[in-house]
Amino acid sequence: MFVQQLVNGIILGSIYSLIALGYTMVYGIIMLINFAHGEIYMFGAFAGMILVVFYDVPFFLAFLLAMAFAGLVGLTLEYLAYRPLRRSTRLAALISAIGASIFLQNLALLIMGARPYTFPSPFTPRVYQSTLLTISKLEIIILAISFLLMIGLTFFIQKTKIGKAMRAAAQDIDTASLMGVNVNQIISITFLIGSALGAAAGVMVGIYFRTVTPTMGLMPGLKGFVAAVLGGIGRIPGAMLGGLLLGIAEVMAAAYISSQYRDAAAFAILILVLLFKPAGLVGSAIQEKV
Amino acid sequence: MISAYYLQIIILVGINIIMASSLNLVVGYTGQLSIGHAAFMSLGAYVSAIVTLQTGLPFIVSLLLGAAVAGLFGILIGIPTLRLKGDYLAIATLGFGEIIRIIFLNLKITGGAVGLRGIPKETTLLWVIGVTLLSLFVLQRIINSRVGRALIAIREDETAAESMGINTTYYKTLAFGVGAFFAGLGGGLFAHYFRYIHPNVFGFMRSIEQLCMVVLGGLGNMWGAIIGATALTAIPELLRAGAEYRLLVYGAILVLMMRARPQGLLGESIGQTGGRSLKRRKTLFTKIKLFRRNK
Amino acid sequence: MKKYRLALVIMVALSMILMLAAGCGTSQPASEPEGAGDEASEGTSEETVDVKVGTVGPLTGGAATYGESVRNAVQIALEEANENKEIPGVNLVLVSEDSEGDWSKAANAFSKLIDQDGVNVIVGAVLSSETAAGGPIVMEGKVPTISPSSTATDLTVGNPYLFRNCLSDEVQASQLAEYAIAELGFKRFAILYTNNDYGVALKDAFEATAKEKAEVVAVEAFMDGDEHFRPQLTSIQQKNPDAIFIAGYYTEAGKIAQQAAEQGISAQLLGADGFYSPVLVEIGEQAVEGAIFTAGFFSADPNPVVQSFVTRYTELFGEEPDMFAAQAYDATRIVIEAMKKYGTDRESIREGLAQTKDFPGITGLTSIDEEGDTIKDVLILKVENGTFQRLR
Repeated sequence: MFVQQLVNGIILGSIYSLIALGYTMVYGIIMLINFAHGEIYMFGAFAGMILVVFYDVPFFLAFLLAMAFAGLVGLTLEYLAYRPLRRSTRLAALISAIGASIFLQNLALLIMGARPYTFPSPFTPRVYQSTLLTISKLEIIILAISFLLMIGLTFFIQKTKIGKAMRAAAQDIDTASLMGVNVNQIISITFLIGSALGAAAGVMVGIYFRTVTPTMGLMPGLKGFVAAVLGGIGRIPGAMLGGLLLGIAEVMAAAYISSQYRDAAAFAILILVLLFKPAGLVGSAIQEKV
Repeated sequence: MISAYYLQIIILVGINIIMASSLNLVVGYTGQLSIGHAAFMSLGAYVSAIVTLQTGLPFIVSLLLGAAVAGLFGILIGIPTLRLKGDYLAIATLGFGEIIRIIFLNLKITGGAVGLRGIPKETTLLWVIGVTLLSLFVLQRIINSRVGRALIAIREDETAAESMGINTTYYKTLAFGVGAFFAGLGGGLFAHYFRYIHPNVFGFMRSIEQLCMVVLGGLGNMWGAIIGATALTAIPELLRAGAEYRLLVYGAILVLMMRARPQGLLGESIGQTGGRSLKRRKTLFTKIKLFRRNK
Repeated sequence: MKKYRLALVIMVALSMILMLAAGCGTSQPASEPEGAGDEASEGTSEETVDVKVGTVGPLTGGAATYGESVRNAVQIALEEANENKEIPGVNLVLVSEDSEGDWSKAANAFSKLIDQDGVNVIVGAVLSSETAAGGPIVMEGKVPTISPSSTATDLTVGNPYLFRNCLSDEVQASQLAEYAIAELGFKRFAILYTNNDYGVALKDAFEATAKEKAEVVAVEAFMDGDEHFRPQLTSIQQKNPDAIFIAGYYTEAGKIAQQAAEQGISAQLLGADGFYSPVLVEIGEQAVEGAIFTAGFFSADPNPVVQSFVTRYTELFGEEPDMFAAQAYDATRIVIEAMKKYGTDRESIREGLAQTKDFPGITGLTSIDEEGDTIKDVLILKVENGTFQRLR
């Protein structure tokens, strides 16, 4: 049972990780909590579902198109709701993000209605069973895609020129700008990638849990944010680790403590971690210069 | 005669003014980002309601007891978490808020998932006006006192404040406790107005709504919290005419208002808010801009 | 700064006065419709009088799908009554308000309907918490209110203006438990309930009945809107039950069924009226095949009233009605019957609702008892080939 629960936690956690990445990348550069990220995730899921169900687009193509679409939504959002506030307080930008989140959620509700849409799995259902573990083909694919995307992102950030510019901007936007980094462009790219990853999570959740609704982004959005903070917000490996840990913590709490207190236990673990590591798991407090 | 609907909205405005101005003490004046204010409201609501229902003590006693328990929890939660900075503090307060809500959802004495019904109606317009004015008065006195100056010093630069001999942990915890106390008062009024409470309205979205009131009105400005609370209570009701477009418009209004007045409706135009990392960021962007211009 | 402050004081004062003025201005029409019924009966002209019927429920937020169903069904019932001129000289008008699924906002919606719109009757609210918050308000405003779906225990007790039209959680859960033990021969039960008033009431009743003659081996909870049930299902699987009672709504139930199947759980799925929606089969597909649940409504019922409702609903909204819609339709029909027999003002409707006896609705014969609660038959349905079949 323990192994099974661990795997349950890893699968859930890998989804949280993907969502957390979108938060953390944006935060790393402009220190904004992109509260509307959960809605981007929902838009991605809807785009994927509509393409697959209504236009019979092959799944992987739809997956990529949904990522592209959500990336564009993210870009637009940044341009309309965040860029004008870049020079104001962080809280102002946060409120703008909350407004954008409410707007996007209700836009989806108006267009699509409240009734849940089903997102049928494109893969033939198959379950692999052993004494220790039962896992479905879909779950293996979800895990594989999540980890591929995370590896791809790490590669992109570590090896490419844009990635280097992003890291530079995250470290010190001032100096990066002096070094010839086009900050606006980097911020746009960050939103594009972060939103696309959110959409990837959205589509996978859509097929994993089979439904797409306008409010589906709320809780995962919150959990993704929590995961990002848990890992150390602004740090990409932190988001991955934080997501996995949160997923495992939640599942273990439900399994061994009480399913009534599933979320409470997850939050309690979060608080405990923060009390011992006040800047998240992989964060460090170096930014405290006087 | 005033219609019952308007009376209800005015009472809610009053309660929200208490909520926003007490949160303003924590976020606006002390610079500590909290997204768990609704939890203190729920503590005040549940404790006062349970006291009224179980003991039949006068309203004023249960109201104060509820507020005291909320304040106590504020201090208890504040002591460990206020060491955290910025968004880490925010997420820890959010976590505590959710934990408290889930506990209320599962306890027997709170009615659990069924909620608590049959609370006597004690909250009248007079009570709300009285408690609101009293809260504003006390909060204003705190802000204008030595304590208030210490809080603002912490917001402006915690390290500098510490080196000036201000016991930052003490003052931050104090602000958190006082904020929680008044949130508890608001919660008590809330419970005895609706005569029913259920944990679901005290979730993180309620905390965020209260944060919106403070930021929209203008951080660190008492009048700002009042205007923010009034606006964000009234707008969704005024928008009822918009039927299904209501929340869509509400979201858009939030974005546009922040675009038009990033410092909040009554906020000081620059400086004031948010602590050091923020200022650093701000100066960075000014530097970048200057640099570009010179290029 | 001083000047600033003065300006503000004036602004606040002005806005307060404005609000008060508006309050006075608009509170007047509220009393008008009360006399509307009398006018209609006195008047000999063919002119019709508008009588407003309000609904309160979530139209945004996570529970919006339930609120939409209710509003849609009420709309159909009112349109039909107007088309057939069921109440002479009266045109029924729907005013629906959003609660966002938040009971304090539902309370605002109730107040607005009563004072601003001057509705004579309210069909709602949808969630139990919303109705619980609205109860005192409709009692003070003396506006009869019938909830189509708020099942919380004793909700209507002590409130002469509050009624409801839905299956009792206690009755359906204990009947299901008895049926599962006696007819289906199950001995080991697991319960997976949603941690809200609906789920908790079902769980308590089912557990109490099942424990008398059989064993309850696992009880697990989940939250409204949860999507991931693997940890709970893994725990349940360890206990190897014969049947799993899912005390929750169709969206979650469909997902639970899917995840249980993926995990290789072959236990019989049981459920309550929250299962009743075509969405259950859409989400659950093969996994909900064979699931057995209680319900008050059955769309394949040959009864022509049921068929005409199902057809009309499907035509208008592009989907089959769910349990919320069926109960809301009946609740509205009960209101219309009350208006026909007793009159369209608030007191007459209240009287009519209280006197409801053996109303032949699409959710079966319905009576309202002295506490405002409903008495109706419990059906037991089974999912067969993706459609619902009646077992009992």
